[in-house]
Amino acid sequence: MGRTTVGVVANPASARDVRRLVALGGTMTTHDKLNRLQRLLVGLAGGGVERVLAMPDRSGITVGLRRLAARPSAASWPELEFIEQPVGGTAADTRRATEAMVAAGVGAIVVLGGDGTNRIVAGASGDVPLVSISTGTNNAFPLPVESTVAGLAAGLVARDDGCRRAGTHRAKQLVVRHGSRVERALVDVAISDGDRVGSGAVWDGGTIRELYLCFAEPDAIGLSAIGGHLHPIGRREPGGLAVAMGEPVVATIHPPIGPGLVQPIGVRSIDVLVPDTPVEVRAASGVVAIDGERLFRFGSDDRPTITLRPDGPVVVSAASVLTHASTTGLLATPAARATTATAPASHDPTDPPPEGNHHDDARSARSVHRDGPHPAVRVPDPAGVPR
Amino acid sequence: MVRIRQYESRILQEYHADKSPAWDIGAGLIPGEMHLSAGQEPAAVGVCAHLGLGDAITAPHRPHHFALAHGVDMNAMTAEIYGRTTGLCKGKGGHMHLFDPEHHFSCSGIIAQGYPVACGQALAMKKRGTDRVAVAVAGEGAANQGAFHEALNLAALWELPVIFIIEDNDWAISVPRADSTANTSNADRAAGYGMPGVRVEDNDVEAVFEAAGAAVDRARAGEGPSLIEIHTLRLWGHFEGDAQAYRTDLDTVDERDPIPRYAAVLVENGDLTEAQIDDIRATADAEVDAAIQHAIASPTPEPDDALDHVFA
Repeated sequence: MGRTTVGVVANPASARDVRRLVALGGTMTTHDKLNRLQRLLVGLAGGGVERVLAMPDRSGITVGLRRLAARPSAASWPELEFIEQPVGGTAADTRRATEAMVAAGVGAIVVLGGDGTNRIVAGASGDVPLVSISTGTNNAFPLPVESTVAGLAAGLVARDDGCRRAGTHRAKQLVVRHGSRVERALVDVAISDGDRVGSGAVWDGGTIRELYLCFAEPDAIGLSAIGGHLHPIGRREPGGLAVAMGEPVVATIHPPIGPGLVQPIGVRSIDVLVPDTPVEVRAASGVVAIDGERLFRFGSDDRPTITLRPDGPVVVSAASVLTHASTTGLLATPAARATTATAPASHDPTDPPPEGNHHDDARSARSVHRDGPHPAVRVPDPAGVPR
Repeated sequence: MVRIRQYESRILQEYHADKSPAWDIGAGLIPGEMHLSAGQEPAAVGVCAHLGLGDAITAPHRPHHFALAHGVDMNAMTAEIYGRTTGLCKGKGGHMHLFDPEHHFSCSGIIAQGYPVACGQALAMKKRGTDRVAVAVAGEGAANQGAFHEALNLAALWELPVIFIIEDNDWAISVPRADSTANTSNADRAAGYGMPGVRVEDNDVEAVFEAAGAAVDRARAGEGPSLIEIHTLRLWGHFEGDAQAYRTDLDTVDERDPIPRYAAVLVENGDLTEAQIDDIRATADAEVDAAIQHAIASPTPEPDDALDHVFA
């Protein structure tokens, strides 16, 4: 059996686009990213990972990580290896690196980037679970997770021990077909006015004519907030959402479509998207933006079709993985399993709960201890705690 | 972009036509070093599309693309490059010292020299209550100079209408960025001074156009300075005669040439036909040819005039 290996894709270009000028997007510096990578590597080591395959770049990540890895403080890190591949500074680097990681048999891929980076990785990751750490501008796909914890979760999933079953699920995706072109979206597909792809980002809500969503969370930032403010749909629910904008306006909402960017959106209609049922874009022409990034133009004789599908990438819920690991003794030495406790495979902290906090890990942790505490841990009786 | 490319291609040809011996940069009709901007056209065009006559540009030693895109007269600029009295500086500046007061255009062979100058221009614009902006252009290597950081600090502190443009062509002469820079992102550095910094990847003229438009709008509206780092391409050598033996990316240069790439997009989208692109190129060639003829036909300065129009 080979060494436990995890892939790492860190997009050096994330959080640098025009939304720092047209909105109030913050800057995730290269050193911020390196700090997260350091934390990740410590977490990966703690999760039992022996080797990391990383995407190379020429924008400071590779050079910085190599320097950090040579320091004494990095002695406990997994072996760090950069994939041998050409570096063009484009999304093609991410695609190539993901393919190489899958071919090398990595047990998980950690993605540092935004929705766009995850989309590219998901296009090549197949059945390999993804752990996503947000380093983008306004991301809906990656859930908040501390990088050290993400590393632990990725390591546990890579080693499996039931973590994969307990802590991963397949995300939905939207498949966009335009002639021979096939694209996928992990969050949203927007149809907007205009005739150019330009800088990619979408920041003028007034130009959006149609919006198709994998999920719609009311507390999201970005275009998916439009759906979230109208008709919430969870990540694990089977359906999606289609929203049409323009006249006649039946409702006006004010969602945050970007950082510091709240705009009125006049909605004409909303429909639930049924899985595996293609729908044709209604607009006669326009620009297709996928996960917030304008990608291509279309005309009346070549309108794209969009299909919601349940076969998106395999994604890791760090909370579910660690809950499983804790309740099955994977986090304790000596490893010991509770006699009756099992991790609830159905626990999904990514579905929006009624109280609107979809990261309520304490709630799930309480539920898995219903059959008794871990036998390796002495839990004091609350009544006996001195006051 | 085509107009700039045709200009640079012709200067390339004319520069080498009479260099004898080839290493003697003083020989021939175009004297001195030559730094051509082929491949970097998207930066100049995308930025200058938002500028008017009253807006200022300080450019570096590789200035032709920004000069042409900003409206500097091609005849006067070419005559200067040829060292003729009809040139912008009466033939005493050469290609690295193009000064055009009418267009508030200047350039310099001193690395990072244009940053503080742009701040001074912007301060004057602001004090006069105008909505003009100053654009400071330099390469990613220049951003390691102290003048860059001093200028960013002052511009941010005084909320000056400056747009800092970093043309990142991957090579500071022969040095890749990661070998000389602890923080390889100038967008990060802008954030450190409290101004928005963005990076435009892939030498994409439409993306440059949008980012520059937003930055110019901010500056005109009194929102202060911005920085845009453009990942561009140095299609040829650092200077003419540079063998580029240090360069590891030459095999991908042709496929990254922004002009054929963008032309293909425009044709595919039905915005232009191949015939129209040919016409644009032919029109540019004719203009360039006329400028070269004008320069060659113009007189060279007399030795007795050497001390005229200089102040140091």
